[in-house]
Amino acid sequence: MADVTLSGTTGAGITGSSGTLGQIRLVAGLRWRILRNLMRVRNSRLDIIGLVMAAIFAGAFVIGLCWLFGWGAYFSVSTGHLAWFLLLFWSIGLFWQAFPLFIAGFGAPFEFRTLLRFPLRFSAFYIIGLAYGLADFAAVCGVGWLVSIAVGVGIARFALLPQVALVVVLFIWMNITLECLVSSWLERLLARRRTRELLFGLFILLSVSAQFLRPAVIDYTEGAHAYVSLQRLLSYLSPFPPSLAASAVIAAGEGHPLHFLTRVGVLLIYIVILSTLLWQRFAAQYRGEELSETSAPTKATTSSRITTKQKSDPFGFLSPQLGAILTKEVKYLARNGFVLISLLMPPLLVLLFSSQFAGKHPSVTHTRITSDTFFPGMMGYLVLMLMTPAYNCFAYESKGIRNYYTAPIRFRDVLLAKNLMYAAILVFEITLATILLSIRIGLPSAPVFAATILALVFAVAGQFTIADWVSLSFPRKLEYGSMRGQRGSGLSVWIAFGVQILLAGICTVILFAGRWTKSPWLPAEAFAVLALASLAGYFAALDALSNAAEKKKEVLIETLSK
Amino acid sequence: MLQSISERQLQATRDPSHLMNEPAILTENLTRTFGALTAVDSINLSVTAGQFFGFLGPNGAGKSTTIKMLTGLLSPTSGRVRLLGMDFAADPVEVKRQIGVVPEGMGLFERLTGAEYLNFAGRMYGLDRETARRRSDELLHFMQLCDRPKSVIADYSHGMQKKLALAAAVIHGPRILFLDEPFEGVDALAAGALKSLLARMTDRGVTIFLTSHVLEIVERLCSHVAIIHKGRLVAQGSLDELRAGVSSDDSSPRTLEQIFLSIVGQGGTARSQLEELSWLT
Repeated sequence: MADVTLSGTTGAGITGSSGTLGQIRLVAGLRWRILRNLMRVRNSRLDIIGLVMAAIFAGAFVIGLCWLFGWGAYFSVSTGHLAWFLLLFWSIGLFWQAFPLFIAGFGAPFEFRTLLRFPLRFSAFYIIGLAYGLADFAAVCGVGWLVSIAVGVGIARFALLPQVALVVVLFIWMNITLECLVSSWLERLLARRRTRELLFGLFILLSVSAQFLRPAVIDYTEGAHAYVSLQRLLSYLSPFPPSLAASAVIAAGEGHPLHFLTRVGVLLIYIVILSTLLWQRFAAQYRGEELSETSAPTKATTSSRITTKQKSDPFGFLSPQLGAILTKEVKYLARNGFVLISLLMPPLLVLLFSSQFAGKHPSVTHTRITSDTFFPGMMGYLVLMLMTPAYNCFAYESKGIRNYYTAPIRFRDVLLAKNLMYAAILVFEITLATILLSIRIGLPSAPVFAATILALVFAVAGQFTIADWVSLSFPRKLEYGSMRGQRGSGLSVWIAFGVQILLAGICTVILFAGRWTKSPWLPAEAFAVLALASLAGYFAALDALSNAAEKKKEVLIETLSK
Repeated sequence: MLQSISERQLQATRDPSHLMNEPAILTENLTRTFGALTAVDSINLSVTAGQFFGFLGPNGAGKSTTIKMLTGLLSPTSGRVRLLGMDFAADPVEVKRQIGVVPEGMGLFERLTGAEYLNFAGRMYGLDRETARRRSDELLHFMQLCDRPKSVIADYSHGMQKKLALAAAVIHGPRILFLDEPFEGVDALAAGALKSLLARMTDRGVTIFLTSHVLEIVERLCSHVAIIHKGRLVAQGSLDELRAGVSSDDSSPRTLEQIFLSIVGQGGTARSQLEELSWLT
């Protein structure tokens, strides 16, 4: 494809269009200035403190695994167990491609397509797009771990370092290109309602199928040594890039230069094919691809009168204002494919955990965890997963937040409606998970069941009060329906994490207190009191939160209207 | 259609007897500072009920800040806002019930359809479900927005969004309407219909507070005008009063643009700035 250049009108003082490198330098400078200017805003400074704290923990995770991958490579080369490279490359490749799908972008929210109004060269646009792929958390991890592998190999056998370095560079290039390609295609497919529904259906089918696939795999590999089973599985995956990268390293280690070159060559073919596909996707974006929700407008029918259909009002029992906000929330949820998928994940993961740790044949622990322990644990996990968005509950309001301030309502009604929506989602998810668990492992005893449900009321009502305050104090706009660059305020994430740890600790101590004192109903009684106190505290705090919303309205409107 | 909408919307405005003597909009030393910057400096506005009031000023003069304070989107640093005789700070909910707003940037929920948004707006102002639905249909038809019933607002053109924002602002029949640049991006056909609607509303006693950079529109629609410059109110009164206050070399009546430029006084500056851009001109 020809390099598309928009050189613009050459007027007085214009010596020619700047080169690709110059344009990349300009965009990098722009990013730096945006970050520097953000530091001048108090909320952003707090956000960056939160991010630094997150980076410390994430850094420990990445560095820990860097050491593990480096040691694994060193061990494989020095002991001659080169086949382990297959496992190393596959685990990095899978993490790199799968993690961004679940976490939906750790990177900075910066829509580089807005730069298209300038005479930006397509080559610069392409490279900037790739560079953004490299700034992803999964990419940072992947690069770190792959470099560790190269270092490990270099320490074990220095002569192998050039070949391994070449493989590592190619594997990094392939992964960045693939990740960018997958995310840009997903973004395109999920932008339209019909493809979104199709993908959603496909996702459910795959998730359910995976549950049936697992017992078959276990049956197939039963009795065999894990290493042999793994080798058998990996042999089927030999044409794929992680296997190619690993086998290139193995070939280099075993002194087969022709095999090494063949693998590297095939890896290069992968890169060329993926790059061509990505080039086409970016070219479509560069030409100004439109990702609108609906098709082109139909011809205006001014003569005929179109009236909205009369439907029964599911929120008719509430005040008009509460009903209106809840209706709006339901419509926003139904049209946000990524959020819908994220709602499907928790019950599926509960189902998955039940096969790992509980039931008749737990595959990980081999010792069955009783339903009395497993059920509260899984319910706590659900609250952890589902309550986090409540800490940034205005994320998708955008400029619409002004409606809540110009309408004749008290802000407590807005918070109440938002919390009711989250509570309804929680009730649905918890009911679904309970049904699944009752089928898989059975329900816990009555005292534990009652204690768990009351503990949920206590934890959720308590969290709503804090989550509402955090949402008002540290708001962060998220791009509706977008997968990448979706990150809440750093500080709100940490507050959510801290509150959840604290509440989980309190609930665990109370639950175990029943066992220690041999009083099975004691936790239920304690949680009943705590739940009542938590609910009373919640309703008492609504007015104070309403006043806080009034005080913080300028920051809230400004942040969400950006 | 126009008649039926305005009839219903304006029922609430027909009996304003208890507030006849009180200006519809009254500000007392309204001030707003942002750190060291005083965006609005002790403004005293008085707008009589039923007036079509134009609020003018150059960019950054404090127009939007003032309109935000008048509609509850921004708290004043000091001073007071009284709308229809009610203190905004004392009873914001009751005041908001009586006003409609098209704010700067419109503030729409872009992932709802036009009908869904109007229903939402109607219900937020306390209309029952059936009334909200009926008025939504009528307003969508009047604004010529009913040919794309399944489109979300994000897919609307700028002009369509403007019309929708205006429809949402009047759905509950407000007694004061605040419009920040209401005709920006609206096609001539729709603008004509909107102007007729707004004129009928003022005939029925609704007060309209409008900001616009198109001085011809303000001159044609507004009976009274105020000009803000660098946060201070530099002129206020009827168009005739403003004309009388500005000296003229000839006998022909001065246009609002001439009045505006003579009060804000930037003609010479613009010429010298233009000379600096010789490479462009």
